[in-house]
Amino acid sequence: MKALCLLLVLTISSTLCVDKNNFKTCDQSGFCKRLRPFKPEKSQYSLNLDTVIVHGNVLSAEVVTVDIEGEKKNVLWHYALKLTALVDSTFRVELDEADPLYPRYRPELALGEEPTADGLKLVSNSNGKLILVNEQGNKVIITSEPLKIEFLDLNGEKAVILNDNSQLVVEPLREEEGTWSENFKSHHDSKPRGNEAISLDIAFPDADHVYGIPEHTDNFHLKTTTSGEPYRLYNLDVFEYDLDSRMAIYGAIPVLYSHGVKRSAGVFWHNSAETWVDVVNYADATVVSSLVNLVTGGHQRRVDARFMSEAGVIDVFVFLGDKPADVFRQYSGLTGAAPLPPRFSLAYHQSRWNYVDEADVRAVDDGFDANDIPADALWLDIEYTDRKKYFTWDMEKFPHPADMVANLTAKGRKLIVIIDPHIKREAGYFVHEDATEQGLYVKDKDGKDYEGWCWPGSSSYLDFFNPEVTKYYAERFQFNNFPGTSKDVHIWNDMNEPSVFNGPEITMPKDCRHYKAPQDGQDGLASFWEHRHVHNENGLRHISGTHQGMLDRSDGQYRPFILTRAVFAGTQRYAAVWTGDNAAEWGFLQASVPMCISLAVSGVSFCGSDVGGFFKYPEAEMMTRWYQAGAYQAFFRAHSHIETKRREPWLYDAATTARLRDAVRRRYALLDFWYTLFYEHSIDGLPVMRPLFQEFPREEETFTIDNTYLLGDKLLVRPVLEEGVTSVKVYLPGKDSHTVWYDVDSYQSYPANGYMNVDVNIAKVPVFQRGGTIVPRKERVRRSSALMAHDPYTLVVALDGQGKAEGSLYIDDGETYEYKSNKFIYAKITYEPSAMKYSFVNEEASYPTRSWVERIVIAGIKNPPKSAKLSQGGKQIPLQMTLHRGNDVLVIRKPTASMASPWEILFTY
Amino acid sequence: MIYSAWLKKLQSFLIIVFTWVISVQTDVLRPRGVSLSKASLYSPTKDFTCFDGTSTIPFSYVNDDYCDCFDGSDEPGTSACINGVFHCTNAGHRPQNIPSSQVNDGVCDCCDGTDEYATPELCSNTCEELGKEARAKAQHLADLHKAGNFIRLELIEKGNKKRQDMAEQLSQLEKDKAEAQKIKEEKEALKNELEAKENEALQVYRDAEEKERQKKEEDERQKQEKEASEQFSRFDSNNDGVLTVDEIKVGNIFDKNKDGEVDAEELQYFLGDKESVNKEEFMSITWPLLKPLLMMEQGMFRPAEAEATEEAEDEEAEDVPRVEDMDVTGSEDDNLDGDLSHDDAEDHDIEPDNSKSYDDETQKLIDEATEARRQFMDAERAMREIESNIRNFQQNLEKDYGLQQEYATLDGQCLEYEDKEYIYKLCLFQKVTQKSKNGGMEVGLGDWGEWAGEEGSKYSVMKYSNGVACWNGPNRITMVNIHCGLETKLTSVTEPYRCEYKIDFITPAACDDSNYMQQQTSHDEL
Repeated sequence: MKALCLLLVLTISSTLCVDKNNFKTCDQSGFCKRLRPFKPEKSQYSLNLDTVIVHGNVLSAEVVTVDIEGEKKNVLWHYALKLTALVDSTFRVELDEADPLYPRYRPELALGEEPTADGLKLVSNSNGKLILVNEQGNKVIITSEPLKIEFLDLNGEKAVILNDNSQLVVEPLREEEGTWSENFKSHHDSKPRGNEAISLDIAFPDADHVYGIPEHTDNFHLKTTTSGEPYRLYNLDVFEYDLDSRMAIYGAIPVLYSHGVKRSAGVFWHNSAETWVDVVNYADATVVSSLVNLVTGGHQRRVDARFMSEAGVIDVFVFLGDKPADVFRQYSGLTGAAPLPPRFSLAYHQSRWNYVDEADVRAVDDGFDANDIPADALWLDIEYTDRKKYFTWDMEKFPHPADMVANLTAKGRKLIVIIDPHIKREAGYFVHEDATEQGLYVKDKDGKDYEGWCWPGSSSYLDFFNPEVTKYYAERFQFNNFPGTSKDVHIWNDMNEPSVFNGPEITMPKDCRHYKAPQDGQDGLASFWEHRHVHNENGLRHISGTHQGMLDRSDGQYRPFILTRAVFAGTQRYAAVWTGDNAAEWGFLQASVPMCISLAVSGVSFCGSDVGGFFKYPEAEMMTRWYQAGAYQAFFRAHSHIETKRREPWLYDAATTARLRDAVRRRYALLDFWYTLFYEHSIDGLPVMRPLFQEFPREEETFTIDNTYLLGDKLLVRPVLEEGVTSVKVYLPGKDSHTVWYDVDSYQSYPANGYMNVDVNIAKVPVFQRGGTIVPRKERVRRSSALMAHDPYTLVVALDGQGKAEGSLYIDDGETYEYKSNKFIYAKITYEPSAMKYSFVNEEASYPTRSWVERIVIAGIKNPPKSAKLSQGGKQIPLQMTLHRGNDVLVIRKPTASMASPWEILFTY
Repeated sequence: MIYSAWLKKLQSFLIIVFTWVISVQTDVLRPRGVSLSKASLYSPTKDFTCFDGTSTIPFSYVNDDYCDCFDGSDEPGTSACINGVFHCTNAGHRPQNIPSSQVNDGVCDCCDGTDEYATPELCSNTCEELGKEARAKAQHLADLHKAGNFIRLELIEKGNKKRQDMAEQLSQLEKDKAEAQKIKEEKEALKNELEAKENEALQVYRDAEEKERQKKEEDERQKQEKEASEQFSRFDSNNDGVLTVDEIKVGNIFDKNKDGEVDAEELQYFLGDKESVNKEEFMSITWPLLKPLLMMEQGMFRPAEAEATEEAEDEEAEDVPRVEDMDVTGSEDDNLDGDLSHDDAEDHDIEPDNSKSYDDETQKLIDEATEARRQFMDAERAMREIESNIRNFQQNLEKDYGLQQEYATLDGQCLEYEDKEYIYKLCLFQKVTQKSKNGGMEVGLGDWGEWAGEEGSKYSVMKYSNGVACWNGPNRITMVNIHCGLETKLTSVTEPYRCEYKIDFITPAACDDSNYMQQQTSHDEL
């Protein structure tokens, strides 16, 4: 929605540009300044081989730091190391103090479930080295002094090395009073527990690039940070955020992948504190020259990453791939794949800060019908509330919310309203009174209710780390507690970094206190968590509460849809994500692609940007290109700032409106394809929006392409993101595998051969279907996706070199959990020259759809059949066919096959 | 791109049709979704040609739930074509055309329910009921327009009268202007005549003054010469009429920097490049430089440094009035645009100085001239007032008060509207303002701009533009939608778009029964 612009109105100029003074550099963040220069010759950490125990899938051992300066080895501190083997070529390494002064925080909500154990065997223990192996055959070599852990791929080659650069640090907690505090601008951080930072370097031999650690506005592939700031992970509400930047913005997912021709690998840094990540790519010329001793001549392939966090323990998951899809799956397996979203949420959303009243909502709703543009959801930003008190309505402007919702749902549309985590401190406001009485707010450093400034003015913040708070908050979504809402009203959680207008870096002071479950003997500083420990997890807690509330309000019947701005590992289990407050500038349109690819490989496939840009006004060309791009990104919502000119699609000239209509219809025609992709994602955890190298991992040119991506393994999308262009370069991968690509507009086929120029008039969106795939479409576009439920399908079959293709289709009611009781269809569709088959993957499951096949388009056909017969339910029906184009596109007219049961079309030649 | 568009592209490649097996229930009267006017285009006995002529298909393909025509004309009764149109008769109410996307989508769009024939139980026929309501509403509106029309006719009469009055006043003013012009010219002539006499009389005084001044100058010059000559003689110790370096070196006065000796620099200062000076050269070169030093010595002059500082200060001080001068000039420029005859009075450089005393004769001439000047200025002022009035009337007469001047009498009338937070004020043909109930400044939401209704109903919307600018945004504007009503008042004010206000305004001026009936008829034709 929006940042703290109201506060800054007086200070900003008309050009968009972040005020960097509000946000810390590494040098201004005490621990980063302290740790970043730390590069010892030799690590102080060593493993005590006498203490090694391997039990089940866990190796445990004592690690100590020793004074390496003196002659005699003095043990400085004791640590506990744990190495755990997990299924799917994953290991977990944990290192904590053996007996910490206070417990150190570990995130509680990032992992979906307890990770599944794999077998672990100690193969040898000699010469100061331990060799272990998991059940899949991945070896781990632990060198005891100095401590180093090497993870080997199945070929026995080093894939991931921990502490190769000796930058492992776990600052021990010490009992020293009052000398730790830090200041930033006018803010004071009391740091009551003192220094407790951690650091670890991770090397990826043979890697060409590393990816991940969203959310940043940089390229998808990460850059060497030696000459600048590290990448920062700290959820922040950054007003008018910068492009091409490593600054922290709203989201922080500490997962990092490496990729090279040889293999992919990755690490997940399981930590919710402020984190900085340095990257050194050895291919970078300036780095090579400074690392002469490491270079054995020529181009050395290796990338080093180094994580530094302000607090917590070392808890790192290592993914050994070895293909990109493997590492992406290994990560989403840990943090949980996004569940199947309600179908409408994949359709088009119309938002604005703000639709001002019921009449306005009605007019926009009607505007879509009058212009024959489909839309599935209208959104209400903060102004619908009674002066920013969430769970209330401004009764002057929205006196009949239930009727308003009923008007929308009559056409299959939904309403989405915003609920932010800050609570207005106003006497008589029930949430505030309850929270004050029941102690539900986050506390300040002295234990009093913390007061900050946000939209409502003076506000306090519900402490979602307290189960009582989550319970209380979830109850607020009960239909009788939030009058006017129904199962068709969904929720938008904004400002949950959390945004605090008058706080340090526009967020909560780090010494604020969060709830910690009481434990015997833990009092004083041990009786609560500081905000610094949990910061990046805050938004996740918030949406988890919303999710619970939305499930409970319908007794677990309906799937909730939530949009969140703050992001952390695991967010995908509850919510979709958008890229925050962008602007109507070409640079932001361009950035939306790498930002969403980066989030997608980090578990969050349901990603999009504010179409048209939040700040400023997009002229016709930019608006057109943004709609065209948005139509092929998972979360497709137009949104705009309250001070900007209105921009509903029909407010442009007629030709532009027609193009916006076309873009939205493109989305609806593919809606069942999207829905199927998200179903498959919920099963396999693979990104819906994928980088090209996921499917073509050996094709080096693809490693740095981030303006083009794949939807599933079927469609290649290269949206036009540049102003005034008449042609764009599109990279078609798969030359070695003789892949063929079909322009979805013309069915013209192109053999993969790297870059190709594609003419792009203002109506053109370069999208290509991969040969060998089948994509289901619905050409009849209705007012909303709900009204399309029973409409017929067009199946587009794009043949590969062997004249074969396959695809899939998922169908269910689109909104309930009935699919968990086998009320769905998941069908595999195959095409071979002799027959086309539609068969159910899960034969136990069925769904009584009235949909049928109205058309089958077969592109790339070389030898057309003479006749075709549909065989379904024991009946045989002859079919009509026509040939188009240069006789290579065959259209089967009205097969009328029902999608409710399997069928087969037999061809004769 | 949608399939049908693709098909259109490739239509020329269409090669073969293998088989066709479709049976269709045919409506002998007209296919479903076709209006009576187009029924003749669908003949069951012939192949069907798409309206755009691009292809011809068997009639059985019409309404067979498969889109064959790029223009959607083969599927008027189904949802198969994305660009099709479905016609519902809606007997008892108005017929309607809906997009094909609304056919059989589970929403009742036609009051006769024919758009949802796949689920007949879904929609009941509400046309009778709606038709009745619509007719009652139409009747009510017609009555309103009829009643309002009487008032409107009065407004037209008053408006015309007002315009007529204004035109009359204007022509009177034109006459007044001619008269005033004449008076002005007379007064100017008289003034010029008397000023000439005054000037003549004053010339005597001026000549005397000039003589006096010249005499003073001569006296001063002589005095200076005498002093210089004395000083020359004082330093010319050998009295040879030439002042040499040696002679100068003796004089303390030449030791400018007071270091006890007269050095080369000081010599050069006083003598220029010369070794010596004669009396004449002394007078022109040395004396002006020497004099201040002498004065200083005598305590009549301050040191040079102090003088320089003071000069600098003076310069700075002068800068300020210069800036002011520019401002004054600027505002004078501004005035030039508005009022040409503003400060003629300043041109009278011959005006006498009041501080002086003159003989009775001259004083009389001065008084007469002064009186003539005053009268001339009065005449000019009167002229300007008339001209300004004329401009006002002309502007008002140029304003568009509607086809029949029905809005003329509303000009300047102000109407208020209050909501929870604000009081809005519309002064017709002038401006719109908003004032917060919590106090604060009045904000301009726009000044009268133009009639902005769509073609055919230009006078249904007023546009007030160029209001106060929004932060980071455009200038505020207000659209006033005018409806027929028996009174003149504002019925709602909203801000549908940021900084774009919408006012609903009712007035009998907008009631027009003949026009209204005409509009209704044309609606029915849809």
